[in-house]
Amino acid sequence: MNYTFDFNSITFAPLLRGLAVSLELTVAANIIGVIAGFGLALLLMSPYRLLRMPFMLFVEFFRCTPAIVQIVWIFYCVPMLFDVFLDPITMGVLALGLNLTAFNAEAYRASIQAVPKEQIDAGIALGLNPWQRVLYIVFPTAFRASVPVLLTNGIVIFQQSALVAIVAIADLMYEAKSLATETYRPIETFTVVALIYFAVSFPITQIVGFLERRRQMLAS
Amino acid sequence: MTMSFSLPLVKMQALHKSYGDGAIQVLKGIDIEMKPGDRVVVIGPSGGGKSTLLRVMMGLEQIDSGSISFDGKPYISSEGSAKKTLIDTNVRRSIGMVFQHYTLFPHLSVIQNLMLAPCKVRGERKASAQARAQALLERFGLGAKAKAYPAQLSGGQKQRVAIARALMLDPKLMLFDEVTSALDPELVSEVEQVIMQLASQNMPMMIVTHDMWFAKNIASRVIFCAGGVVVEDGPPEQVLGSPKEERTKEFIDRVFHIKQ
Repeated sequence: MNYTFDFNSITFAPLLRGLAVSLELTVAANIIGVIAGFGLALLLMSPYRLLRMPFMLFVEFFRCTPAIVQIVWIFYCVPMLFDVFLDPITMGVLALGLNLTAFNAEAYRASIQAVPKEQIDAGIALGLNPWQRVLYIVFPTAFRASVPVLLTNGIVIFQQSALVAIVAIADLMYEAKSLATETYRPIETFTVVALIYFAVSFPITQIVGFLERRRQMLAS
Repeated sequence: MTMSFSLPLVKMQALHKSYGDGAIQVLKGIDIEMKPGDRVVVIGPSGGGKSTLLRVMMGLEQIDSGSISFDGKPYISSEGSAKKTLIDTNVRRSIGMVFQHYTLFPHLSVIQNLMLAPCKVRGERKASAQARAQALLERFGLGAKAKAYPAQLSGGQKQRVAIARALMLDPKLMLFDEVTSALDPELVSEVEQVIMQLASQNMPMMIVTHDMWFAKNIASRVIFCAGGVVVEDGPPEQVLGSPKEERTKEFIDRVFHIKQ
C-alpha cells in the first residue's frame, strides 16, 4: 500500500455538525420507538383478529422492505399521495421512528409472552386485579427482558440514519460526502466518519453484552 | 377447644371440569367438605385431578358446573348454560396458595415480594407491612435474606419465602400444590418443617403431594383422588395403612414399592 494519508484537510466542524443531526434523529426515533412500540405490542396481542390484522401488516411491511426504500418512499411518495409536507428532519424522524416502532413491538411482544404463566397465577392468588398484575408483574418483567433488544435496535437505527443522507438531510454521512468532494480526500474522510460511527455504537454494544451476561447469570 | 357442631369451612358440590370443550374430563363430580382445622392431603396418580382441584378452589380455572362455598359463603359457581365461572374475589382473598414452581417475582426483593399484595390489595401502610414481613421472615429463619433477590436464594428458601408471602394476607385456608416436587431432595425437609409449623398452629390446609412420609405426618385426613373422582376419603391410618378400595391399595402398594 503506497497511499499517503493526509488528514490535514479534514475539518471536524462540519462532521460534528452532522453527528449532532444524526444523534438528534436517533434519539427522537428512539423516543417514538420505545413508547409506541409497547402500545403496538399490546395491540398485536389483542384477542380480536380484526384489531390485530392492520397492526400486523404494519409490522410486516417494515420488516420485509429495505429501510432505504421506506425512507425514500416516505420522502417522495407521502407528500405526493397525501399532500403532507413536513420539514426534512421531521420526515426523517418519522421514517426511522416508524421503522423502530415495528421492530421494538416485536421485542416487547416476545418478552410479554415470555412472562411465565405461574407468575400471573401467583398474582391472582395474592388478590391482585388484572391491571395491578400488568403494572406490577408483567410490565416490569417484560421491560427488563426487552432492554438489550431495545438498545440493539436503537443502535441499528443510529446506523440506518446514515441512509437519510440520500434525501438531503445534513446528517453525518451527508456532511462526509460534501467534505470528501470539497477536499478530494474521500479515503481520509470516510475513515474518520467510520471511526465516529464506531465510537458512538461500540460502548452501547458493550452495555448490551454486559446486560445479557448478567441476565444469564441471574437466570441460572 | 373442640367444636362439636362445626360448620364446614369449605363445601364443594358436584364440581365438574373439563379441558377442550369437554374432550378431557378432569373433575367428574367432586363433593368434599372440609371442617375448620382439617389438614387434608390429596394423593393420587398424575392426571387424576389433584392439582386441578386446588387450582379450581383458588379460582385459577374455569369450571363446567358445580359450586364451592367458603365459611358458608358461595364464592365459585358456574352460570348454567353460559358456562361462565363466577368468582367472588372478596371471599377468595381468605385463601392462600403456594405453587410447585417458584413463583416469586424476580424483579422484587424478598421483602418487596411479601409487601406487594398487602400494600396494593389491602392498602396497608408500607411501614406496617414491612414490620410484619420482617417478623414473618425471622420466624422462618430468613431474616437475613430480606433484601436478597429471588435469584440469590436456594429452592428451599424460595419456597419458604413463597409461603411467607401467602401468609402476609392472613389466609384462613392454605393450599399447597406439590410445593416440594421441584426441590432437590436435601431441601425438602426445610420446606415441610415450615408447613408443619403452620399445622401446629391449626392452620386449615389442603396439600397435594407425592411425599407419602410427609402425608402421613401432617394429614388429619387423606383423600385419594383418581380419574377425576374421590375414590377414598378417611384418616391417614386408614387410607395410607389399610385402604378399603382396590384402586387406593394398588396406588399405595406401587408408591411404597418404589420407595423401598
